[in-house]
Amino acid sequence: MNLHFADYLVIFIYFVFVVAVGVIIKKKITSSNDFLNSNKSIPLWITSLAFISANLGAQEVLGMVASGAKYGIMTVHFYWVGAIFAMVFLGVFMMPFYYGSKARSVPEYLFLRFDEKTRALNALTFAAMTIFSSGISLYALAKLLEVILHWNFDLCIWIAAGIVMAYTLLGGLTSAVYNEVLQFFLIVLGLSPLVIVALQDAGGWDTIRTNLEPQLTHAWKYMGDADANPMGIHFMSLIFGLGFVMSFGYWCTDFLVVQRAMIAKNMSAAQRTPIIAAIPKMFMPLIVVLPGVIAIALTKSALDSGDYRIPVDAAGGYDYTMTLPSLIAHYYPSGLLGVGITALIASFMSGMAGNVTAFNAVFTYDIYQAYFFKNKSDKHYLNVGKLVTLFGILFSIGTAYIAASFNNINDFLQLVFSFVNGPLFATFLLGMFWKRTTGHGAFWGLVAGTLAAAITHGLTIAEGKGGWISPVYPISSGMGQAFIVASFSWIANFFTTIAVSLITKPKPDEELKGLVYSLTEKVYGTEKRWYLRPAPLGIILLIITILLNIIFF
Amino acid sequence: MSEKLNQLSFIIGVFFILVALVLLIGYATTASLKQGINLYTGIAMMVFGLVMVKLKA
Repeated sequence: MNLHFADYLVIFIYFVFVVAVGVIIKKKITSSNDFLNSNKSIPLWITSLAFISANLGAQEVLGMVASGAKYGIMTVHFYWVGAIFAMVFLGVFMMPFYYGSKARSVPEYLFLRFDEKTRALNALTFAAMTIFSSGISLYALAKLLEVILHWNFDLCIWIAAGIVMAYTLLGGLTSAVYNEVLQFFLIVLGLSPLVIVALQDAGGWDTIRTNLEPQLTHAWKYMGDADANPMGIHFMSLIFGLGFVMSFGYWCTDFLVVQRAMIAKNMSAAQRTPIIAAIPKMFMPLIVVLPGVIAIALTKSALDSGDYRIPVDAAGGYDYTMTLPSLIAHYYPSGLLGVGITALIASFMSGMAGNVTAFNAVFTYDIYQAYFFKNKSDKHYLNVGKLVTLFGILFSIGTAYIAASFNNINDFLQLVFSFVNGPLFATFLLGMFWKRTTGHGAFWGLVAGTLAAAITHGLTIAEGKGGWISPVYPISSGMGQAFIVASFSWIANFFTTIAVSLITKPKPDEELKGLVYSLTEKVYGTEKRWYLRPAPLGIILLIITILLNIIFF
Repeated sequence: MSEKLNQLSFIIGVFFILVALVLLIGYATTASLKQGINLYTGIAMMVFGLVMVKLKA
């Protein structure tokens, strides 16, 4: 693929804008709260789009298109089962505790609700996870630019990381959030033409359905038998593993996304942030799943579709990760090609910046301030936040090379999430809705959950991964393995937390006000109009989501 | 102008207007860019950019 001057110009304009956003915002950064938490001053429409964009990094975009080609329309489960329900739950039930407790981060909420050691465990695992995710974003971009433009892999990593560092150091979280919104529009407007032309080339949706195996065009129909669908999982595993454990674990407890709602101007906006974000999220499969399904249809079928094929790897199998770049290369002429490449670069940069800004808030507040230097000046913490940003990016560069051994980035990411997020939702569920839960219970529950995740991964094997203890239980896909690992870790955490809580002393009720559902005063009707209230909005979204599942059954 | 620069909708609008100009000018002046998809995307981005610039914070 050769870029024209116009393509380079579009990429250059994007680079100038992202750094300019950082320069403009820099004037407003006067405290650590401005840099790490945006001073809780961001409008609702921005927090909502940033909320969804924080989950629209390079691994999401490339990975979901890859999964669309690999698993077909079943990939929509990541949206219509694995996102909307949890986002509505977060807005209606959990944001009042996060926002109302005045915690600056999710680990800090755990400190207020439980104790120091639970916060430390969550802060450390979260910090490691964000660095991993950031590194995967970096790897994805560098690989992409190396393969399609033949740019030097190492040089791509360092230049891209340098630009992210420039705007996050200048403008902190606000800069990252603003660029996430820009990235959202760039991805939607930059990839929409691709969907239209590729779909037209494939003969339309009806032709695709006629020519592809039915397992690839139905979301639920073949999930009654794990061997009958490409993901290799039963619908019960999907609903519990993805729809409950992983989905709620990610959307309701991952500080990377929850942080976007916590910086809203007030409680009402904070509650509506994930719910408003669920609207574009619901339709995102059109941009990131459909291209993958179209690609496999063009590749496999006897359609008279020109010469498009999904690239193959060295072993002769499909290189699914390269599906989206290959579609862009095939269908986009010079000019729009630059827009498509820029959209991918933007998704990488925002994914990385989102992780780094979440990492620096958690590291500064929950590790550095909590354990090393408690009572320093605000300027001190501002400087530490900037330094942590710098080191976060350097660590990301190191982890980027680890990601190179996996052929499907999304599978790898889901696996990492299942280790850390899988057990976490059980801790929050019990902590927020059962006042008897103790700090010891929460801590040992998290330890047991993470151990269970590791043991399950060691006893199962999928696509050559896992089985490091003994490959007792083979699973046909890495995705299915991730669901099962997450499910076991959640169950281990849930029951361990209950058991330990019952034999240890809980906090007095007075200390739990505003942190536990039964001890918190319910505030209803602060917004008079129904469409400004989280619950009615959430119910409408859930009905639409159920209808979408039925339509694509 | 300084106030407008602080509005995210304005920044996004200007960005898409510039990208649209690259596509539309390229379509009008360069043979390799003279394809319908560049024209239609350029128009769509121009409209979107103008709407975002006009939006009030």
